[in-house]
Amino acid sequence: MAKVPRNFRLLEELEKGEKGIGDGSCSYGLEDGDDIMMSHWNGTIIGPGHTVHENRIYSLKITCGEDYPDRPPSVQFVSRVNLPFVNPVDGKVDPSKLPVLAHWNRNYSIETVLVEIRREMGSASNRKLPQPPEGSTF
Amino acid sequence: MSLPKRIIKETERLVADPAPGITAAPHDDNLRYFDVTIQGPDGSPFQNGVFRLELFLPEEYPMSPPKVRFLTKIYHPNIDKLGRICLDILKDKWSPALQIRTVLLSIQALLSAPNPDDPLATDVAKHYKENEKDAQRVSREWTEKYANA
Repeated sequence: MAKVPRNFRLLEELEKGEKGIGDGSCSYGLEDGDDIMMSHWNGTIIGPGHTVHENRIYSLKITCGEDYPDRPPSVQFVSRVNLPFVNPVDGKVDPSKLPVLAHWNRNYSIETVLVEIRREMGSASNRKLPQPPEGSTF
Repeated sequence: MSLPKRIIKETERLVADPAPGITAAPHDDNLRYFDVTIQGPDGSPFQNGVFRLELFLPEEYPMSPPKVRFLTKIYHPNIDKLGRICLDILKDKWSPALQIRTVLLSIQALLSAPNPDDPLATDVAKHYKENEKDAQRVSREWTEKYANA
C-alpha cells in the first residue's frame, strides 16, 4: 500500500474533522488556520453519560510532530480532570499509561486518540473518580 | 514496496527532461511523495518567486488524481491558507491520461490566470474581483516576502 505522508494524512484528518465525526462527542480542528505544518490542534471531548464526566466539556491540545503518524501525537488536557493517565500538575497525558499511545499504530488518528480517551473516562475504574470543579483549567 | 511502471516512467522523465520552471524529485523513502518547485510565471504577480509544493500519488493513481499542495505562502484566489489548490483536474476533471507533468504545468498556468469566480480563498477572490490592481500588489508583496528563492 502507498504510504500517505504526514501532511496529506493531516489534511485528510482536517477535512474529516471539519465535516464532524460520529455523534459529535469528540471533535477537533486546527488551533490556527494558518498553521501550514498543521502541528497544533484543539480537541474537545464531551464526557460520557452515566459517569462523573457526564455533560462536562473537556478541552485538549494535541501536537503532531514531524514524525506523525509514525509516532503518536502528544496530548495535554486544558480542562482540569482526574484520570490515572493525566499528569495532575500540567494535564499532560502520559503516553506509557494510555494504551492507544503506548501501542501506537500508523493507522490511528487524532480521532482515535480522542475516542479512546473518552472510552477510558467511562471505564469501570475511572467512571467514578472524584473530579475537580467543572470548567477549571490547568 | 513495488512501484507501478507508470510512476517509474513518469519520474524518470520528470528528472531527465523537466518542464521549464518546474522541478519535481521523489523522496528516497517514499517514491510516491515528491518535493516540487514552481517558478512564478513571467508577467504574473508571482514572477521571480520560487514556490515549494508537495505532491503525493495515492494508491489509486492514476485512476485518482495526485494530491498537491503549496508549502510556500501565496496570495492567490484559488489557493487557500493551507496551500490547498482549487483546480478542476485535481478533482472531477481528472483523467488517467493526465500526468504529474501536466498537473504541475496546469498549476503554473493557474498562477498566470487566477480564477476569482471559482475561489477557494474567498477573501482573496473578493479582493481580486473588487480591485485587481491592489490584489496583485499584495500577491507581489507576498511573493517577495515568502517565495524569495
